Amino acid sequence: MATPPATPPSAPPACDPAWAWAPFVPDARRPWDLRLAGHLHRRAGFGGTWSELRESLADGPQKSIARLLRPAGDLAAFEQTFAAADAQAARSGSAEGLRAWWLLRMLQTPHPLLEKMTLFWHGHFAVAQARVRDPRLVHGYLKLLRARALGPFDRLLESIACDPAVLLALDGAANRRSSPSRGFAAALVGPFSLGEGHCSQQDLGEAARALTGQFVRQGELRFIEREHDPGVKRFLGEEGPWKTADILRIVLRQPALARRIVGKLYRWLISESEPPSAALLEPLAASFSRDYDTGKLVETMLRSNLFFSPAAYRQRIKGPVEFALGILRPLNALVPAAALAEHAAAVGQDLLGPPTVNGWEGGRTWITRATLTGRTNLAHALLFGGGAFAQPADPLAAAQKHGRGEPAAAGPFLLDLFLQGDPPEQTAAVLTKGPADGGDLRDRFRRLAFELVTSPEFQLS
Amino acid sequence: MPANRRDFLKRALGASTLLGLSPTVPEFLCRAARAAGSRPSGGDTILVVVQLAGGNDGLNTVVPYADDHYARSRHTLRLAEKDVLKIDGLLGFHPGMPAFARLLQEGRLTVVQGVGYPHPNQSHETSLRIWQTARPENPAAQTGWLGGAADVLSGAGQADVPAMFVGQIAQPFTLHARTAIVPSVRAAEDCTLRVPRLACPTVFPALLDKPAVARGGAPGTLLEHVQRTAAAARIASRRIEQAAEAPAAVEYPPLPLAAMLRVIAQLIRADVGIRIYHTELGGEEPGGFDNHANQRDNHASLLRQLSQSVGAFVDDLRRAGFLDRVLLMTFSEFGRTLAENGRRGTDHGSAAPMFLAGGKLRGGLAGPHPDLSETEQGGVRHHTDFRRVYATILDRWLGLPSRVILGGQFEPLELFSG
Repeated sequence: MATPPATPPSAPPACDPAWAWAPFVPDARRPWDLRLAGHLHRRAGFGGTWSELRESLADGPQKSIARLLRPAGDLAAFEQTFAAADAQAARSGSAEGLRAWWLLRMLQTPHPLLEKMTLFWHGHFAVAQARVRDPRLVHGYLKLLRARALGPFDRLLESIACDPAVLLALDGAANRRSSPSRGFAAALVGPFSLGEGHCSQQDLGEAARALTGQFVRQGELRFIEREHDPGVKRFLGEEGPWKTADILRIVLRQPALARRIVGKLYRWLISESEPPSAALLEPLAASFSRDYDTGKLVETMLRSNLFFSPAAYRQRIKGPVEFALGILRPLNALVPAAALAEHAAAVGQDLLGPPTVNGWEGGRTWITRATLTGRTNLAHALLFGGGAFAQPADPLAAAQKHGRGEPAAAGPFLLDLFLQGDPPEQTAAVLTKGPADGGDLRDRFRRLAFELVTSPEFQLS
Repeated sequence: MPANRRDFLKRALGASTLLGLSPTVPEFLCRAARAAGSRPSGGDTILVVVQLAGGNDGLNTVVPYADDHYARSRHTLRLAEKDVLKIDGLLGFHPGMPAFARLLQEGRLTVVQGVGYPHPNQSHETSLRIWQTARPENPAAQTGWLGGAADVLSGAGQADVPAMFVGQIAQPFTLHARTAIVPSVRAAEDCTLRVPRLACPTVFPALLDKPAVARGGAPGTLLEHVQRTAAAARIASRRIEQAAEAPAAVEYPPLPLAAMLRVIAQLIRADVGIRIYHTELGGEEPGGFDNHANQRDNHASLLRQLSQSVGAFVDDLRRAGFLDRVLLMTFSEFGRTLAENGRRGTDHGSAAPMFLAGGKLRGGLAGPHPDLSETEQGGVRHHTDFRRVYATILDRWLGLPSRVILGGQFEPLELFSG
């Protein structure tokens, strides 16, 4: 077991942007260890397996990040095996089926960063399937998010603006000249791009006019010329006979857009604790506004000094999906995804059912007395069985796979696997001695795992 | 580790099993949780909302038995003077509602008459959504009115679980919130730590043994937030367990609504700071109150269930000393047509009465019975906008800003005593 360092890795002040975004190079003061490897796999995925952690530990940060961004090998094989499930989910016509299918994908994918970023964009372009009422279209929306999750943001925004599921969800599927959909325009230039406070009511009205003529008919986008308002619109100071593409072009030129996306991604990948200063984000925002290359932005953040500093380390609260997958993925466990999706919804994250167009607030709001109780009961069901989870996850099997199935090894192994040396301090001392005595070995491993994943520390990413 | 700490851990975590904690909450944990602000609610008011899905026939609930228009329009469904539980010379309760009649006499029930909204919509889905969001002008509203109230409560840090749905159906949109996470439960056990073989698993007592600062959970950090909430969760769970184990002060009838109200009463007695409860009678859309044909028996059985269940709930809370803090409100998406439809049923109408029950009400009838000589799309014409009832409850009962939550100012009603 890696000995937990007495203090967190120390770092120069995080406010110097040049230092913050330079690639992290481990040295004696900030060594590459299991903690940082675990941190990387939590943020760029849903928590590493023991093999993944060991591999990253051996490879160092930059090579590990390269692999997370572009996994070698088995991607095509995975897509092939998943294609059947994919088609079935699309055909199923069931909202629950689609939600479960996505969760299963997150659980099994060899490219967790792609799913993590798809989840990010789902929270950003927040569409609830209850408002779409067509799982086939929601499936298309999800595929779109995934296809562009690490690609060009401007292309993603443009595709979203004419995605049938999005139009249906936001009351924009019958955008008539006589009654432009303000709701759809408000989402497009608000939460989907610039956020609040950049467009006046006047701008909104003009944008809504520009978007008229878009319809969804039989699940397909149609542009109906006679329903489009061809007149001149004045949007964010620019005048012209604007259409949807023009509105997006103007939005994509606003400096506020890159700043907002970079800021949201900072909160997703680096820290929810402190809002970053404008100066810190400026270099990334400047670069992002030039190329809108999400993959590059994500890569810069993951490789950075700041990412591996105490300013980022465990400075996020896991959402329900991250929490549940953070138990299951390290154990290579498979559970009924539909039941898992239901549990995640009960503690606040209904996949494909974000509360509003603003997505999930996240951060501290994930944690209430009720959701912590729900998380605890979910962990219990996953590890001990119960309800739909007839085949509970098996921490002993995971330990044995790595030659750590001895009773005395249970504590250290599970601590390293789940918390990488950040145990609840006092408890660790007891736990790492191994279970005292009595009881079935498999059961004792389960109890330890349960203790660890219900600890406050485990709720932090 | 100093010896006394080791002893403590041994005691806390158990000698033979790591997790064999005493089932009672250790005093230090209570202290920590109290210090963290999870003390009992301090007497905050509570709202319980009962959705009656399907469109309740207000005219056969609070019956204008002496009104000729009513008598002439209801050939088979008419309830005559001899049938009803008389309120006054014009009105009487449906005969299946003796508990409501009693509560009215005791001053613990208010009938708000003629409640609706302008240009009533007669689709179940749309009208229900209007009542749920309180936004007739915006069918695409993103949150429900109680969800908005929950957002205000949790945003102000007044409650980390501001509202809860207790019922068997999917959570109604009324509770749909922007940031607050509103749990749905079916039983009190759903709110407790269900860990049969482990006595005290979730909150490591050790976490609270030392000041959080010393172990990194400095005040204001995310870690400290989780630790503090975990401690509060453990306490809330224990309180709920105790309240659920304690016998109710009255016997609840074996009816679905009574079962849900019993759970709510348990949670209220546990006093864990939940300000808003929501439950329902009538089920999913279109809802059991939608009686287009052969209405009589089905409607009677639902009204019996409503009356008996609410009666037991009010009595239970009164005996437990909580009634003065509780207000129950019913609503339905619309009333029904004045005229029968030829199939011994009624069709979608508009206005209807709302019921309020609790310990701090003025009681009796609020507002006149609507004039039945002029109907509105066949239904009863409203004289009181439902948002006035909501606004009064938000401002004067829950102490929340109705203007923010309802998106406008609505003239309050005089509903409460003192």
